[in-house]
Amino acid sequence: MEDETYTEPNPHPHGGFPAGKVFLSGIAGFILAAAINSGALLADAEQLPDSRSRSVSVAIWSPIEKIASTLKLTWPRDVGDFLLGRNEGEDQVDLRREQIGAVPQPSAEEWPALSLEEPSPTYELDQTTAVASEPVWSSGNPFTIWVLGDSMVQFFGETFVRMAERSSLVAATSEPKLASGLSRPDYFDWPARISDVMTEYDPDAVVLMFGGNDAQNIKTDEGQWLKRFTAEWEEEYRSRIALVMDLATGTEERVVLWVGQPPMRGEGFDSRMKQLNDLYRLEADSRLGVHYLDLQSLFTDENGAYARYLPDSSGKLTDVRLTDGVHLSHWGGEWLSEFLLDEIEKFPGLDGLWGE
Amino acid sequence: MLFPTLAFGLFFLVAFLLNWLTRPHPMIWKIVMLGVSIFFYGWWNWRFVFLLLWAITSNWVAGTQIDKHLCAGSKRLAKNWMRTAIVGDLVLLGVFKYYDFFAVELSNLLGSSATIPLLELTLPVGISFFTFQAMSYVIDLHRRDIDPMPMLDFAVYLSFFPQLVAGPIVRAAEMAPQIRKQPDPRRVASGEAFHLILRGLFKKVVISSWLASAIVDDVFSNPESHSSQDVLIGIYGYAIQIYADFSGYTDIAIGVALLLGFRFPTNFDRPYSALSLREFWKRWHITLSSWLRDYLYIPLGGNRGKQSDTYRNLLLTMVLGGLWHGSTWNFVIWGFIHGIALSVERILPNRRNHPVIRWFVTFHIVCFAWVFFRADSLSSALDVIRALASLPSSAELTSSLSVLLLVGMMAAQFVPYSKSEDLKRILSRQRILVQGLTFGFGLVLIDLFGPEGVAPFIYFQF
Repeated sequence: MEDETYTEPNPHPHGGFPAGKVFLSGIAGFILAAAINSGALLADAEQLPDSRSRSVSVAIWSPIEKIASTLKLTWPRDVGDFLLGRNEGEDQVDLRREQIGAVPQPSAEEWPALSLEEPSPTYELDQTTAVASEPVWSSGNPFTIWVLGDSMVQFFGETFVRMAERSSLVAATSEPKLASGLSRPDYFDWPARISDVMTEYDPDAVVLMFGGNDAQNIKTDEGQWLKRFTAEWEEEYRSRIALVMDLATGTEERVVLWVGQPPMRGEGFDSRMKQLNDLYRLEADSRLGVHYLDLQSLFTDENGAYARYLPDSSGKLTDVRLTDGVHLSHWGGEWLSEFLLDEIEKFPGLDGLWGE
Repeated sequence: MLFPTLAFGLFFLVAFLLNWLTRPHPMIWKIVMLGVSIFFYGWWNWRFVFLLLWAITSNWVAGTQIDKHLCAGSKRLAKNWMRTAIVGDLVLLGVFKYYDFFAVELSNLLGSSATIPLLELTLPVGISFFTFQAMSYVIDLHRRDIDPMPMLDFAVYLSFFPQLVAGPIVRAAEMAPQIRKQPDPRRVASGEAFHLILRGLFKKVVISSWLASAIVDDVFSNPESHSSQDVLIGIYGYAIQIYADFSGYTDIAIGVALLLGFRFPTNFDRPYSALSLREFWKRWHITLSSWLRDYLYIPLGGNRGKQSDTYRNLLLTMVLGGLWHGSTWNFVIWGFIHGIALSVERILPNRRNHPVIRWFVTFHIVCFAWVFFRADSLSSALDVIRALASLPSSAELTSSLSVLLLVGMMAAQFVPYSKSEDLKRILSRQRILVQGLTFGFGLVLIDLFGPEGVAPFIYFQF
């Protein structure tokens, strides 16, 4: 702190140009940028949720991209993307298509539904095939957990990894992808990624959390847009949930936890998340291998309403949500992680994985 | 509406056009600029526009009363009006920013028997900035440093969109003459403005976002699972990230204002080249530190009293400055560290030490304080420090690219100001079409090198 006035070191020494010319030169700059970048801008527009602004954006950028690519104006950007290795994502949707056909669909009859209505379920699997009836976990052969999902995972995934790895018998990995979900595989293809993870790493447990970005219209493989929460939309979205659950389940030994959305501050958003939670619960209930975890009671106050601050075990008020009214705070992440570890420990053979 | 978005680009083209078309007609220009700024602010949440309008109206009325009573020789009444206005601004800030924090702390202190109801309000973007500007207006009026502004002038000043949400904190004394006097529409400083906007976008979109996603977020979310080398690089990374983020925002704000014919004060001047904490605060967020100096530190007595009073004033100013950033104990501790370090510098002047040692000590105190600023909670900050002190092991996050980037950004802090402005000078000498095309091509490069989905500016939350 100094009791003196700061003086600007270098006042503008140059002249300038008439505002009209500056405006036109700015427009020229924007046109140049828009032409070179038109491919990326069109891709961005296509990734917007189905809405009027998406239609307008696509309508604007499609002809610009067509003209720019015809005039070969997009090549600097294409070369840049190529040099930075950014043209790889286009293969992902094809990969997903192949896997959809390849996944064996388990029947509900084979795996009787497990009711999760009880507040604190104890998982009872067939002990002959259950998770490590004889604990075999060691630091050399750890119990592996993968946490996959959207930005909700971004805010608690690393905390979960840290807490899970307090046991030397556990190795955990968190892989969030911001703004992703099951509604828009054109943005990020979760089924393909989940399939990769299961094949490559064969985790012992998988924690999945989706939904925050999914209450939007869906484009089918045939290119038809389905309006959100219509019967057709629900059917399509449930098939996507089912696909992800089946890909994650793989073997009967694997623990698969599907984490529902917590209550949200915005009324409309909260109601949409509750609708999605119902779908997750329905799909999970129809499979033995997937266990739906409800977060509503974990993050509500005594009136059952959304709360940013909640009392912890000692009665001390703690902020469990971020100011956006959606994501979990550091403490909220710890609560959820603690809850998940408790749930995993309820599986046969996993009791005491994290000690007492 | 974030600066590095297409929506802002389109908005600004319209704002630019309206600004220069209506500039010859002051009354129309003011109404248009107020409308444009309110549209910009309402883009986030239209409800908070009423809050901004309330701040404009209440402070302008108070300012008018202060001037009236000073002219009438009634100093006591003028002082009362000033106090009323300041209390009103602090109440506004307190309700939205601090109420829940203090209510929670008080509830926890009193135990479960006394639960204080919480408001759980959304924090209006930019509230810390426009309330501080409003307070400086009424205080400066009371000090007779400025003349009262007409209602519309004051409304344009407080709502002016380039600095509305994250500063720089521009004083009325700097803005009022620029609002009154018409700039020459034939001499728009386009080269300087394009350079500043490109530089700001590069710092934000490329440097800050890349460091956040490549190192910083990982280290601060799970420090225990990283090696001490990674944690150290993560802390250095955050020092550069927050500098690139905030100074980048300021560069864009200054550039945008320049295109509209306004010149904002400098807000950053290579802060990590500082050889002392005193110097750091003359180079970092200059408009906030000078605000705290003029309206808090000096009124508290500054360095005019006993030594112990000076230390108390420094500590109080820095702790309140920390609290200005957010209502958590981490920000209080961040301010406390700076207050203590500034006091220690006065007790143990280190001017005789070699400049490299002075720089090293200063930079590392600043970095240490950043740990508390960045961490989600006090325990997270301590986790980071513990992880830093753990035995060295293999570094997984640290790449040669990240080290190169950090070294490059640090080296740039030591480039003389005149040299760092060479690009600006070169661009300013070009023909206007070349400037525009350079600007366009610069946008392409920034978009190319930037990651997908750029996070909002860090200082928006303050």
